[in-house]
Amino acid sequence: MKPENEKFNEVVGLLRKSRPLLDSPEDIGNKVIRRLRAEKPKTDVLSSLTDFLFSWVYIGWVRRTLIAASCALVIVFIYQQGVILKRIDTLSKQTIVNDKANIKSPSEEIERLLTGYRSSGHLFSSRNITISEGQMKDLLESVKDLQIKYKDLEKIIDEDPDLKKMIEKKLMGIDHIKTNL
Amino acid sequence: MKNKLSKLVLFSVLIFCVSCNDPETTVTNILHTDGSITRIIEMKSMEGDSLKRFRIADIQVPIDNTWKIKDSVATDKKGDKTWFRRAEKLFKNVDEINNAYKADSGINKKSVRIAGFKRKFKWFNTEYYFSERVEKIFTYGYPVHDFLNSEELNYFYSPESLKGQKEAGPDSLKYKALSDSVKNKTDLWTYRNLVSEWIGEFTKLTEGTAGNDMPPAYLKSREKDITDIFKANQKNIDSLWANGTLLRKFIGEENASKYKVQADTAVDIVTKKFTLDFREYSLKIVMPGKLIGTNGFIDSSKVLLWPVKSDYFFTEPYEMWAESKTPNTWAWIVSGFFLVFVLTGVTMRIIKKG
Repeated sequence: MKPENEKFNEVVGLLRKSRPLLDSPEDIGNKVIRRLRAEKPKTDVLSSLTDFLFSWVYIGWVRRTLIAASCALVIVFIYQQGVILKRIDTLSKQTIVNDKANIKSPSEEIERLLTGYRSSGHLFSSRNITISEGQMKDLLESVKDLQIKYKDLEKIIDEDPDLKKMIEKKLMGIDHIKTNL
Repeated sequence: MKNKLSKLVLFSVLIFCVSCNDPETTVTNILHTDGSITRIIEMKSMEGDSLKRFRIADIQVPIDNTWKIKDSVATDKKGDKTWFRRAEKLFKNVDEINNAYKADSGINKKSVRIAGFKRKFKWFNTEYYFSERVEKIFTYGYPVHDFLNSEELNYFYSPESLKGQKEAGPDSLKYKALSDSVKNKTDLWTYRNLVSEWIGEFTKLTEGTAGNDMPPAYLKSREKDITDIFKANQKNIDSLWANGTLLRKFIGEENASKYKVQADTAVDIVTKKFTLDFREYSLKIVMPGKLIGTNGFIDSSKVLLWPVKSDYFFTEPYEMWAESKTPNTWAWIVSGFFLVFVLTGVTMRIIKKG
């Protein structure tokens, strides 16, 4: 008895030898090729969009340019923010004034003119001052005298704490009235 | 009694000076991103006479009937009245402000003031720069920073309110000493400027005629000596100048008689410059966006503030400037997208390659 395997191999051998006869094998081949060509490949919109958008990564010079532009953008951003932060920090140290009390010093402008007058006497006579020289001298003398007396007064006040307290209270009262205006 | 009298005299002098400075004026420039400027002038006057109050000729900055004007009055507890005027106008650009300055008929018309505006696009932000500049009066003067140190300079340029606060504060003694030091040094600065200006003008007048008699550098080299002579003879300077003693000391016997006319003319020129009419006021600027730089002071309402006094622009231009920025939101978004896009592309390539 022949083993099963041998029988099987014989059958397969016979089948191989007895191939069907084709009328036009070339036509069949062409048909197959035509079908394969006609069949559209399955498309993925997202992957095609990704391929389209990122096709530049395969072009060396475009890739390098875009990377350089990104780096430049980041550097510019860091630099600008750094400069701005530094400037704002400087600004925060700037003096804040209380504008409510921003009253001009009435004496400064006249003091400048007085300094000039003191330094030059009649030499630099002002076009705007129509008072006589004697009157001007009197005024200067009285201002000088007043300054001395003012300093004396300051000294007296400094030496007497009660008086100082009283004056400070009075001055605060004046300020209060001013604010209410 | 003596002290009371002193006070009385002091107050009368102060009142005289206050009325000199009337009206008290503050100019506020509100800058818009398109370069237009809303200008607000606020004036305060104690003047009782309605005809004398807020006269255009007395106002520190240009104003005319094209402004929106609003008047009000306040009465204090004692019954004293204070008048207020608020004027507002929108200027299309700084050129309009500059034209107004050129056509100014107010008290400060002789001073040259220029407003400037710059806008810079810097991708992430747009920066704005606004300035108001007052041109210098003296041609041959010295900048004040040659005479004052940084602390003194800061004090010199401070608004009165700040000086007052400091002098009344816990460090009052320190600030009083600082105030005295600034006063003494600025006095010296004034003397030097007067002398320097006179030398400059006199040299200009005698140029070409003096020749080898008096080389231009000669007087300049004697500037310090002349200042000392000037200071030492303050009391009788009139008579000393009139009889030619001073000029002889300055330029020698022969030259004094030869160039007396030019010397007097130079004095006249310096006098005109020195006594230039200028009434001080305050300038405020409100910038668009976030403030990033200024040389001004910041007031309690976060508005920039500068006092405008003639001392500040005697020998060098006085520029009050501020800089701010507004973020360009669209640029931030575009930049963000771009960075993500490039980063994604590069990452994808690395993954595919791997």
